[in-house]
Amino acid sequence: MTQVLFYLLCAVALLGAFGVVIARSAMGSVLSLLATFFALAVIYLLAGFQFIAAAQILVYAGAILVLFLFVIMLLNLGGMGSRFELDFEPLKGTRAKVAAAVAAGLALIGLIAAQRASPKPIEVPAGETPIDGLDRLAVALFGRYALPFQAVSLLLLVTMVAVIVLAKRQRPGAGTGEEENR
Amino acid sequence: MSVHPEHLLFLSAGLFALGVLGFLIRRNVIVMLMCVELMLNAANLTFLAGSRLHSTPGAPDLQGPIFTVFVITIAAAEAAVGLALIIALFRLKQSADTDQAAEMKG
Repeated sequence: MTQVLFYLLCAVALLGAFGVVIARSAMGSVLSLLATFFALAVIYLLAGFQFIAAAQILVYAGAILVLFLFVIMLLNLGGMGSRFELDFEPLKGTRAKVAAAVAAGLALIGLIAAQRASPKPIEVPAGETPIDGLDRLAVALFGRYALPFQAVSLLLLVTMVAVIVLAKRQRPGAGTGEEENR
Repeated sequence: MSVHPEHLLFLSAGLFALGVLGFLIRRNVIVMLMCVELMLNAANLTFLAGSRLHSTPGAPDLQGPIFTVFVITIAAAEAAVGLALIIALFRLKQSADTDQAAEMKG
């Protein structure tokens, strides 16, 4: 039962990823990515990572995809009949072949590495206790990994400042904006 | 009964390859950013598969989940900065096509 569900979710995740690549509009890509993220969250749950599954849904599906949707709608890129419609234009000629060869080679390397990674898979009974129990995770995060944690919080602060500076619309007469007043 | 870590690695390889393919063949900057997110998800899956491989029922391996939390945080920051850059590029070019942004081509 778990196996069947797992393979079904793998198929959903891979089809969603494929949909991101081949969707004609950016909106279709976002919706395919949403399917992939939800499938991955349930896969994390099946593999015994409850907190990571919750974080996946909250952060990826809840925050990042909403950000993508917001930008797509703000820039009016999503609709099929919009002025700035961006059709699926695969690269022509050699560049597409090189891209496909790179992706196929990466997949091959990954599959070989996965094949050789575990000569004897260790069976952990799923569903009993999560591997990432919140108590253990919190002790590790604020104990042994306190320095990376603080570095990441500093990174978030820097990101916030950078995004405000980048996305701020500059007034027509105030400063040396490279863009014209708009 | 439970999920094999190997199968998680297979799925991760497939997701990463699709992300690379999309990043290389698409021209819409937003879709390219989404493909980067796809690759980061594949990396998360690899971390968690490694954690599954090195866990025993008595002693769970916590490095995989910890680094997955960090990767999720950095992915959120990266998406925010990337989308702000896309907005700036769109203001400049009225387009989100990478072929339009060729000032630094030389």
